[in-house]
Amino acid sequence: MNPTRDTHATLVDLLDRVLDKGLVLDADLIIHVAGIPLLGVKLRAALAGMETMLKYGIWQDWDEAQRAIATEEYRQKKMAMAPEGEVAALCHKSDRTVTTVL
Amino acid sequence: MENRARYIYGVAAGVKAVSLGPIGIEGNEVYTIPCGGFCAVVHSCPAEPYQSGDEETVKKWVKTHQGVLDEAEKALGTVIPMSFDTILHSRDDAVSPDRVVEDWLKGDHDRFQAVMERINGRDEYGVQVFYAPALVVKQISDENQEIRKLREGMASKSPGMAYLYKQKMERAVKAEIERLAGDWFRDFHRRIKGHCDDIVVEKTKKADRDRVMLVNLSCLVAREKVSNLGEGLEKINNTEGFSVHFSGPWPPYSFVVKPVAPITEEAK
Repeated sequence: MNPTRDTHATLVDLLDRVLDKGLVLDADLIIHVAGIPLLGVKLRAALAGMETMLKYGIWQDWDEAQRAIATEEYRQKKMAMAPEGEVAALCHKSDRTVTTVL
Repeated sequence: MENRARYIYGVAAGVKAVSLGPIGIEGNEVYTIPCGGFCAVVHSCPAEPYQSGDEETVKKWVKTHQGVLDEAEKALGTVIPMSFDTILHSRDDAVSPDRVVEDWLKGDHDRFQAVMERINGRDEYGVQVFYAPALVVKQISDENQEIRKLREGMASKSPGMAYLYKQKMERAVKAEIERLAGDWFRDFHRRIKGHCDDIVVEKTKKADRDRVMLVNLSCLVAREKVSNLGEGLEKINNTEGFSVHFSGPWPPYSFVVKPVAPITEEAK
């Protein structure tokens, strides 16, 4: 399959990158943009819409678990699989709804 | 009054001062400020950030920011992308804002060098894998023995007991999805990683009613390997119950965030 750009579906991909990422300066000559990160969050929340939570949705802890797995994989290259018990424990709080998954 | 600041889109390798035309945010003239082998792609602006409560305005700015990076890449080659609203200003009237940018380019030269080596010849791609919960739940309900038993047991129970059975069944389905999702994540992550020089695991997002985002990755991919990645993703996309969103090429926004070491052979 081929990658796409410039469609409505990729606007979120673009916003995620331009607003949250890119090279950041720590020089004291940079203008402080206190309002912008907040605006970014608000904008993206609006873009994501307020759909009803899926019954079997992804929730925060599960999300953290995924990231933990990936980090773990980097650290221990030899270990192809994270121990299942650990993942299950991290994913346990399945009834929590997520308001900020962005 | 002369503008006291410069909005910075990105940094490219190059020693020439060139103009890219009035393609900047709010139609500003975009030009390069070279110093020490690198040049900043900028426009001249007042010393205040671009802010707006209007979504459409911000979207337009963000698209323009990206558009300038696209043009800069055509004209100058690989560009290190800056975050939106990165503005350098001069606090001393005697020092021109261009000079402030030059000093910054000079001061961060080694960092640019390291980042440039890392991203040269590579682009960023967004890869998201979704699964269809309805399909997965059905599959689990049919295949998992414990869940099947609960479902079958429900039929002969009183309404109160049936309710408890139903709750128990739902919990079992959830647990099974979690277990499977962990397996899928590891499998897809491993397969996708094989085509990338570097990978960042992003937070998953709420998708829509029919699909759940399982994997959200930013991938740094060498240009000659993009078709391989595409083929790999095609296979995942063709697996029943899964779909893939593949976006890009983007400037390597996710791989310039921190000072970085060049990609090693091991990481490849």
